[in-house]
Amino acid sequence: MPGIDECLLDVMRLPGARGAAVVDWTSGLALGTIGDSPNGDHEATAAETAEVARMAAEQPAFAAGSPDAPGGTGSAPPVEDVIVTTSAGYHILRFVETDFDSSVFLHLWLDRAEGNLALARIRIGEIAERLVLA
Amino acid sequence: MTAALADETAAPVLSPMLQRLAAERATGALMRDRGTLYLADGKVVHAESPATPGIDVLLTRGGALRREGWWDAVAEAGAGQRVGRHLVDSGRVPGGALELCHLGALYDAAFFALAPTRTPARFRYGVAHWIGPVRPVPVDAVQRETLRRRELLDRIWPDAAVDTAPLTRTGDPADAPVPPGRRRVLEHVDGVRTATAIAQELGRSAFHVLVDLRRLAAAGLVAPTAPGAPGADRIALPEVTADPDVALLRRLRDALEAL
Repeated sequence: MPGIDECLLDVMRLPGARGAAVVDWTSGLALGTIGDSPNGDHEATAAETAEVARMAAEQPAFAAGSPDAPGGTGSAPPVEDVIVTTSAGYHILRFVETDFDSSVFLHLWLDRAEGNLALARIRIGEIAERLVLA
Repeated sequence: MTAALADETAAPVLSPMLQRLAAERATGALMRDRGTLYLADGKVVHAESPATPGIDVLLTRGGALRREGWWDAVAEAGAGQRVGRHLVDSGRVPGGALELCHLGALYDAAFFALAPTRTPARFRYGVAHWIGPVRPVPVDAVQRETLRRRELLDRIWPDAAVDTAPLTRTGDPADAPVPPGRRRVLEHVDGVRTATAIAQELGRSAFHVLVDLRRLAAAGLVAPTAPGAPGADRIALPEVTADPDVALLRRLRDALEAL
């Protein structure tokens, strides 16, 4: 029966994982954090990444072709994840689909040299699903 | 998993009473004008406000839980004050989903409960909420987040009347694309409903609705209903006249003098 902390611990087992957080992208609130954060302040990082996640989730260009366009009750944006590559690392923002109204994503900060982006992207998708499954 | 910055910045104090209760690791209910914070061992374990839907509405409206499932859990575990734990243990709600939903509801209600007020707060020691422990949050984190949320709203659109007044549509959304979630909020703006009413109907966090409404206001699509416009004053109060009825006052004076 995984909760927020168990999922964050799982995320940190990925090779090259430096830090992770569960963030609400409407408010920018960090619901749970683990490890390091790029600017040494998990709450500030959450507010910044939330803004990126929101921009991606709300752009009409990324909503094209989604099965539940208007009228749907699901809270999941059509965007699955956002990946930002920097000189030192990768940031994966993975949206979490819930069956109550929410706007939650998982943020994983991955070391560029030690991390495996393809593996991490698959695993964080599984963990995001498991976070809200029994 | 610990907030490392708690000591670096001086913690903002929204309620000196709350600060004191946290320091003495109090357990009980802090009742303020617009909501109640429940503390256990000096940490916030639950919050409620009439301004925002409760966790029962959030869970049942989206389909995460059937209404009967909620009431069964309350009946089975309410007396033991472990409804949250019971929802998870009985397989009705996944543990992660409950934590996400409960934390969202807690910070949401705390935002309204900690709104500025002139009414003094009261604290009842020993009172616990029947939802029981889910994921306690430090008082500092709640106060910091509440302040951050106020600033966030003002950065989006600095008109606090949007948060409380009946709202009316002022523009055509065809001019500016509105994302689906925000469009649903816009569809409920009808000149009568307030932010709280819209949140209740949608089963959404009232703070999330405030964010959407301030963004809609910034886009020129929504505005608070002007006082005097139809729907603005749903409780019609009698006009207070500027000039008193002089003749009546004279008659009163004469009558009093004649006694």
